[in-house]
Amino acid sequence: MGACIEAAGALASHGLRKPSARHLADTAARRCLAFAGRDADDVDVLINAGVYREDSMGEPALAALIQEDIGANLGQPPIGGHGTFSFDLANGACGVISAIRLETGLLRSGVIRLGAIVTSDVDPNLTRPPGAPFQPAGGAMLLRWDDGAAGFTDFGQETFPEYEDLFVSGLVWRGRHGIRPLRRTAGKNHMVIDMKPGYQTRLADCAEEAARRFLRQLGMDAGDIDLLVPAPAWPEFLDRVRVRLDIPGDRVAYTPEDLAGAHTTGPIAALQAAIKSGRLGESRNTLMLAAGAGITVALALYRQTPPGSRM
Amino acid sequence: VGVKLPSQRLTTSDLMSQTRHQTRIQLERLTGIHERRVAGPGETSFTLAVGAARDCLAHSRHQAADIEMLISTSITRSRGGSSQSFEPPLSLYIKNAIGAGQAANFDLSNACAGMLTGVFLLQDLVTRGEISCGMVVSGEYISHLSHNAAQQIRSLFSKQLASLTLGDAGAAVIVEQAPRGADGIDVIGFTTLAEHSRLCLAFPSNIGPGAQMYTKSRTLHRVAIEDMAPLVAEAISEAGIDLSDIDYLIPHQTSARAIRKGTAEFARRLGAKPKHVVVNVEEYGNTSSTTLFLALHKYLREQRLRKGDRVMLLALASGIEIGMAIFTVGSEADNYGRMH
Repeated sequence: MGACIEAAGALASHGLRKPSARHLADTAARRCLAFAGRDADDVDVLINAGVYREDSMGEPALAALIQEDIGANLGQPPIGGHGTFSFDLANGACGVISAIRLETGLLRSGVIRLGAIVTSDVDPNLTRPPGAPFQPAGGAMLLRWDDGAAGFTDFGQETFPEYEDLFVSGLVWRGRHGIRPLRRTAGKNHMVIDMKPGYQTRLADCAEEAARRFLRQLGMDAGDIDLLVPAPAWPEFLDRVRVRLDIPGDRVAYTPEDLAGAHTTGPIAALQAAIKSGRLGESRNTLMLAAGAGITVALALYRQTPPGSRM
Repeated sequence: VGVKLPSQRLTTSDLMSQTRHQTRIQLERLTGIHERRVAGPGETSFTLAVGAARDCLAHSRHQAADIEMLISTSITRSRGGSSQSFEPPLSLYIKNAIGAGQAANFDLSNACAGMLTGVFLLQDLVTRGEISCGMVVSGEYISHLSHNAAQQIRSLFSKQLASLTLGDAGAAVIVEQAPRGADGIDVIGFTTLAEHSRLCLAFPSNIGPGAQMYTKSRTLHRVAIEDMAPLVAEAISEAGIDLSDIDYLIPHQTSARAIRKGTAEFARRLGAKPKHVVVNVEEYGNTSSTTLFLALHKYLREQRLRKGDRVMLLALASGIEIGMAIFTVGSEADNYGRMH
């Protein structure tokens, strides 16, 4: 018995002149629900784990707008226990795994029957700032309880505060100087993203260290992993972490090129590749690994059968 | 529960004297807010959150090393140079500052319902035994919305009027497994009425650092009263009690008038009313995601809550998010402030 992936899909913003984080997440969520043959009203909890949006809206949670857009339990207050609860979660590139952990728990305790996670990022100023290491993309996944599968069994998160300055981002106010013409704004809050040289390499080193510790605590090692679902998909990170963990290339779910620069959508994009190739269904032990600012490394173990059960 | 309040106070009359246009708005009479705390030099969302987290630990039997998960739920995320920090998440800086480096962490954004949302999630993890102790923390340096609104507001009908009610505060709460047989959280739940998601929107400002918020206050309160009443009825029914069994109802603190009107309507619709309704906006204003726990802390500190009291926390936030928790106060309340 466990929380299992019902569907997962990601999309890049090809052809969209001005990509919108909300629209990318909406589209990904609708496609995911359609693929799974689900109605939006089936979603009990909707977590948005995206970070960068075109307007940097502070409230409400973007998840509430996405819930409205996809039409999940709109109308009367949900008397009788069934409605949709939406909120945003931010943990950079690791946000999806944090959200999976929460939804797995709510599924396990029977509070919900279907959980949705959406992601999306665009540049807040609608142009890509110099140094922004990711592309506009959106993703969605559905989690449900399955009595016949183990699903997500273990989670880990480790942070390396000594490297917290290697990747930082935030809004910074820049006032306009000189005489202020009529109707012109006094200034603007600009999104500033600063990625220091060597960040990707350090990310890989931290990911390897955290993954080894996580597996050791479970009585496993990298050789027990049939499939690695990693994010980000940058070669500087992925190649290094794969080699250092000694996981052969044929045991890695490679994100398609058009999504290789995805940020918070990265884990869903890799998951989609694993599902499409059929390897997620064949793998006994799948390790989801995400690494991002902090440096933060998040890990999740996804099993077809419970540990110790007969194959 | 712990809090961190800035020492600097701003009265409503002083705030209204700073408006750029002559408004004739009698804000104190309308809202009941006499003053609010505002962040001083060097104070940010981060420092308020850290101060609250430390105060929370000082009121508990836990060390920072016991915290297995830390959730930061601030709407505002100021930390030094940038007006809003995005990555790494604020929770990372907070856990490192208090010495809880081993805790899993993430930020959660659910407007003014953020802290109760965090408690809802931790309660699930703790109840199932996945963790034994977690912390929800929020530091709100949100008074810059008031300053920005003061530059533009012209009349009572401005959509930025609600921004003038805001005050700064930090709050933190530890959720832990209650000993067998002890009192705890009876009911906790949330829902999002997303068809009303655009009634209150906040964006980065283009007139000064920070943000601006636009609220259709009257519609928001009408919808809240209409839709919240049946949800409250359902929650108290699930707890197996009546509204009159609630000793203290702590609603989201927006304005004294809105709270009075809302609770009177609940009483009319549900045929009962709680014994006490907690209102503290007169001294703190609306401190956004921290209001419920700021009020809870005040009542604990003043020894007004005693073992066995039944408390209902009622969150209302942009989204529209409606959340509630009913819990019974444990024996710790009788010694609150004397535990270290």
